[in-house]
Amino acid sequence: METAELQDKIFAYMEKMKGKKKLKEKDVIKALAEETSEAPDTVKKALRGMIDVGRLMYSYGGGASSVEIPSEEYLREKGLIK
Amino acid sequence: MSGKYKTPMLDELEKGPWPSFVTEIKKAAKKSSMADDELGQLEKSYKTKRGYWKHGGIVGVLGYGGGVIGRYSSLPEEFPGIAHFHTVRINQTSGFFYTAKALKEICDIWDKYGSGLTNMHGSTGDLVLLGTTTENLEAIFAEYSSRGWDLGGSGSAMRTPSCCVGPGRCEWSNIDTLDITYTLTQEFQDELHRPAFPYKFKIKTAGCAVDCVAAIARADMSIIGTWKGNIQIDQAEVKKYADKGMNIQAEIIDMCPTNCMAYDGKTLKINDVECNRCMHCIAKMTKALRSGKEKGATILIGSKAPIVVGSLLSWVIVPFIKADAPYTELKELIRKIIGWWDDTAKPRERIGEVIESEGMRPFLEAIGVPPMPQQVKEPRKDPFFFWSESDFK
Repeated sequence: METAELQDKIFAYMEKMKGKKKLKEKDVIKALAEETSEAPDTVKKALRGMIDVGRLMYSYGGGASSVEIPSEEYLREKGLIK
Repeated sequence: MSGKYKTPMLDELEKGPWPSFVTEIKKAAKKSSMADDELGQLEKSYKTKRGYWKHGGIVGVLGYGGGVIGRYSSLPEEFPGIAHFHTVRINQTSGFFYTAKALKEICDIWDKYGSGLTNMHGSTGDLVLLGTTTENLEAIFAEYSSRGWDLGGSGSAMRTPSCCVGPGRCEWSNIDTLDITYTLTQEFQDELHRPAFPYKFKIKTAGCAVDCVAAIARADMSIIGTWKGNIQIDQAEVKKYADKGMNIQAEIIDMCPTNCMAYDGKTLKINDVECNRCMHCIAKMTKALRSGKEKGATILIGSKAPIVVGSLLSWVIVPFIKADAPYTELKELIRKIIGWWDDTAKPRERIGEVIESEGMRPFLEAIGVPPMPQQVKEPRKDPFFFWSESDFK
């Protein structure tokens, strides 16, 4: 599977889970590796690529870190949108 | 800029012979409105006995999941200078050795973008910069990283490894704590900057059992320098200590936790088989005693401060491991340990808590370390050896 296609699937999964559960990086990797039959390392690499460009972001709350879709405020702050 | 607020209660903390954080904030407040508002809010907290900080939130630099801790005032209209007051963690140098030039560089950048207040160092070990705004974060990171600095760890990540001064200043260090810490920091960059663990994981390295970095009480994994073989004794130097008035019986022999030492007024003897390498005698008689010649490290696991459950002290799991560069055995062991913890822990569970709930036996099996007598922590804590069905086949 092309990286871009895998990243779209990761994003779709994140949208589906939004507001339901705080997802750790490992949760996303496990779910997408099962869904796509890609190796966990491949999913991890694709996920990291999304975080590096601000398509996903790390967040922190209640003592634990998670991954989520960034808010417009975050994207604006990072200069990724106007 | 300074003196916007009357601070009679904080002023009390400037009295006495000891250094005062209030004095230091007042100094910073001469140049920084953030520091000035910080004083005002703190005085208000002391009066009302309430905290006005909101902690957490989503702040950081692009691509990193740690290194910045969000902090906001819950009274932004009253104290606008600290509406945002985020903490930035900078990965400290091993053993906290800096040149004056490096410190000036750090402070100049911080004066430009932050409150000017620092904490040298935070309990994790990072160089902590206190108080900046969200819009300055990327610029701060760009300036520091362009000069070779990096952010430290925070959140559910490996925290910045730290160590004692080791061989840099201490000739009794049994291992090169500085090199181990630098090597592990480089090895685990991904785990440090990308929080993927159930909770925090701290590694601290001490050159000997004196443990100047307090690893045994604070680190999820403690690497403590030790030795194999006999303690080296210089009897002539022992005599000099006695001649200068040291009460060797009271100060050394009676203080030995395993009673493995004897002194007849002329000769000091050590039954090394019984020695637990606590370093008390060596630290007291530095000229007369030296550790054995074969150096290595003891690995302990599981200490933490009380958050989810009570505080824990570390537990010996590997009595002796070679600790020579490139530390392949040590790195492999760490990967096995964090792998088991990551697979087993619930969110916000430290490794010590998981071992308490799951038992030491499955942990040792998972990391491939056999049960050993040295792992017995206290009476009734057995060496984790149990028969299983397969043993009877």
